[in-house]
Amino acid sequence: MSDHAVNIKDLQFRYRGEKKLALDGITLDVPKGEFLVIMGASEAGKSTLAASLNGLIPHYMRGRIKGDVVVLGRNTMESTIPQLAENVGIVFQDFEAQLFSTNVELEIAFGPENFGVAREEIKQRIDENLKYVGLEEFRNRPPFTLSGGQKQKLAIASVLAMQPKLLVMDEPTTDLDPISKQGIFEITNKLRQSDDITLIVVEHETEEILNADRIVLIQDGKIIKFGPVREILQEVETLEELGVMPLGIPMFFKKVNPSSQLPLTPDEGVEAFKKASLQISEVKFKDMLKEDEAVSRQFSTPIIQCKDLEHTYPNGVRALRGINLEINKGEMIAIIGQNGSGKTTLVKHFNGLLMPTGGDLMVNGKPTSDQGIFKLGQRVGYVFQNPDHQIFSEFVFDEVAFSPRLRNIPEDEVKERVSEALEAVGLVGYEQEDPFSLTKSGRQRVAVASVLTIQPEVLILDEPTTGLDYKEQRSMMDMVKRLNERGSTTIFVTHHMWVVAEYAQKVIVVKDGKILLQGTTRDVFSNEKILEESFLRPPHFVQFANRLGKTFLTPNEMIRCLDMGGR
Amino acid sequence: MTPELYLDYDTVIHRLDARTKILIFVFSFIALVVFEHPLWIIPISALTLLQTTLARAWVNVWRIRVMLTILTITSILMWNVFASGETHLFLFFDLESLLYSLTRTMLILLMILCGVNLISTTRNEELVLGMIGLGLPYRVGFTISTALRLVPTIVSSIYTISQAQRSRGLDLESGSILQRMKKYVPLLIPVFISTIRNTNTFGMALESKGFGAKKDRTFYLKLEMRNLDYFILAFGACFSVVSIILDIKGFGDIKGLTRF
Repeated sequence: MSDHAVNIKDLQFRYRGEKKLALDGITLDVPKGEFLVIMGASEAGKSTLAASLNGLIPHYMRGRIKGDVVVLGRNTMESTIPQLAENVGIVFQDFEAQLFSTNVELEIAFGPENFGVAREEIKQRIDENLKYVGLEEFRNRPPFTLSGGQKQKLAIASVLAMQPKLLVMDEPTTDLDPISKQGIFEITNKLRQSDDITLIVVEHETEEILNADRIVLIQDGKIIKFGPVREILQEVETLEELGVMPLGIPMFFKKVNPSSQLPLTPDEGVEAFKKASLQISEVKFKDMLKEDEAVSRQFSTPIIQCKDLEHTYPNGVRALRGINLEINKGEMIAIIGQNGSGKTTLVKHFNGLLMPTGGDLMVNGKPTSDQGIFKLGQRVGYVFQNPDHQIFSEFVFDEVAFSPRLRNIPEDEVKERVSEALEAVGLVGYEQEDPFSLTKSGRQRVAVASVLTIQPEVLILDEPTTGLDYKEQRSMMDMVKRLNERGSTTIFVTHHMWVVAEYAQKVIVVKDGKILLQGTTRDVFSNEKILEESFLRPPHFVQFANRLGKTFLTPNEMIRCLDMGGR
Repeated sequence: MTPELYLDYDTVIHRLDARTKILIFVFSFIALVVFEHPLWIIPISALTLLQTTLARAWVNVWRIRVMLTILTITSILMWNVFASGETHLFLFFDLESLLYSLTRTMLILLMILCGVNLISTTRNEELVLGMIGLGLPYRVGFTISTALRLVPTIVSSIYTISQAQRSRGLDLESGSILQRMKKYVPLLIPVFISTIRNTNTFGMALESKGFGAKKDRTFYLKLEMRNLDYFILAFGACFSVVSIILDIKGFGDIKGLTRF
């Protein structure tokens, strides 16, 4: 037996019914104890690769397979999934669907039970693993009452209880807020310390994986690059091309002070900044702040006003506890906060899905309770987080035409509006396609288009970038920005801090049903301490800028304000 | 909103062994189904209501109140159509058929109530264990409990999806019955699709955790029969045996009732 946990030789896989190969000649050896990260664009084959490690491919998801996958001495073709499960644990992105027990203890017990582990030993493993992931106090709680981050920790604990030698995680942090993400990565780092477990993680978040050993970049089912983390993360352009978010700090230094060793973390950035004796020009920085103010002054007609807004759900949960805010026509606003902080409850008030149980909420100068959802829905468009919760039509055209048709708009005009909307989202020519056959990002666009056809004055988007790769996130947000510039007041809820930094003009931070902080993006992100209270952190690049004493939101902003005379 | 029906309390009923609770369910069914006359099912009704009260499960009954109301109305009407008697009252109602319809309606409501009692006080895992304890194979027990588990998931996805479609202007409350049925299409298709997706992940998670890896699976939960369990079981068994004997002896019938 080798000292490799995984040997993959020339692996090819094509899903049944698909023409394209999902994996196309993957050869990969992973030594025992390594922490390997798989990165790449959507549909690159990352999840397929992960699923082939525990036998889900080819045993659960059928298709044509060629090549060999040997995991801890076992060939996956010749073993069943439950047999492989003894050595390989897998954690999925969707933390709702992978938990199925009625309390935390039993969730962890399920795996060991299947392998006939004795009761006493199961109890011990429950104790150990709850402690390991920090969920001891929740042992009797039903999983559905946990927050997203806790659910994912539970999923990890339930897999660790089977004492796997290889742990595979498929985008474990996609739906989590920044601090919950960090919590998951703290666990992976702890796991990394122990030599007897090998970690393979599919991940989008570049900032979180600095502690990994190696990265494998894949595209169209092929390995494009494979190497140590620091080496790969320096290749800013390659990452961007492959749809992986490059780090802001090396991106900045690549432009202003290229060297063979680019800094990656905020600490390294500050050091490199000093070493290169770069200077920020006070004059240029002040000019930029003035521009900020000028932009803010453009928007002064309030469209949404909350006064002491409260919402208590029928089961007694007080989700909003006195929200005061004013949103002006034309603004682009990000609402951020931890999972369960009340941000979605808040925005659901803006289109009348929920009505205040206390305080006032005016949209366009009138209380929402007088307008009702049907009327408000014509002014305020709401794009839900998961496009699959609304798509039902056979053709993209009908899906997008659904809203205006319901509102009895003449068919000629419906046609016009649909083609305008499809143009805005970049889906011209897809009218007769089946929306279900599109990628996640395509379906997301259909969902946005289907809201645009009512020509809303206010556009609300709940986590528009979740589940998309970096390139798709960018083009989604570029599109949202264009809509905003055309005049729609835009409000988006998000966990992606870099999206906030680059696209939001103002930020509202919600914590425990109250507003913790609001202001321009620059002001909010300069307050790292208060943000941390709400379990949020600005992106690495902004942290780096803050340490230099001035808040810059993007590398380009900082480059603009560099004092060129000083060099 | 909690989509689960299980209530995490510590009541007398909760502490009973799952096997006892499943058997109570069966015994209640026997005692309910044998009689035609509503007066004769009053004792078992009282016991069932007592159980609901002790289990603090009225919350769950309240949650399904709309369904119960609809069932009550349709059932009372329907059984009058399917049965007739000698004492005519009005329209298609006879005294005998009315009494019979009352019994049948109570039967349906009480059966649901028994189900609510069982599910409100028994964890899914205990239910599986109880079914195995009573001789069902593990896979069968697990399948039944999975089906039960799916209900709250579907309910919560219906909730989200209806919000999404209402935001787009879908109004489910107006229009004729035919129009309204058509309006449910935008609701049902996403519900189906997301349920299929969910169950797919569920299936993968299940297999990946070694479901069915070993024949002799262990169980972390332990069922335990205590004195109260034996007492209740003995009482339940006597109750249903007596009910059957009384039925055979001809008690509890409605004279002059013709069933179709």
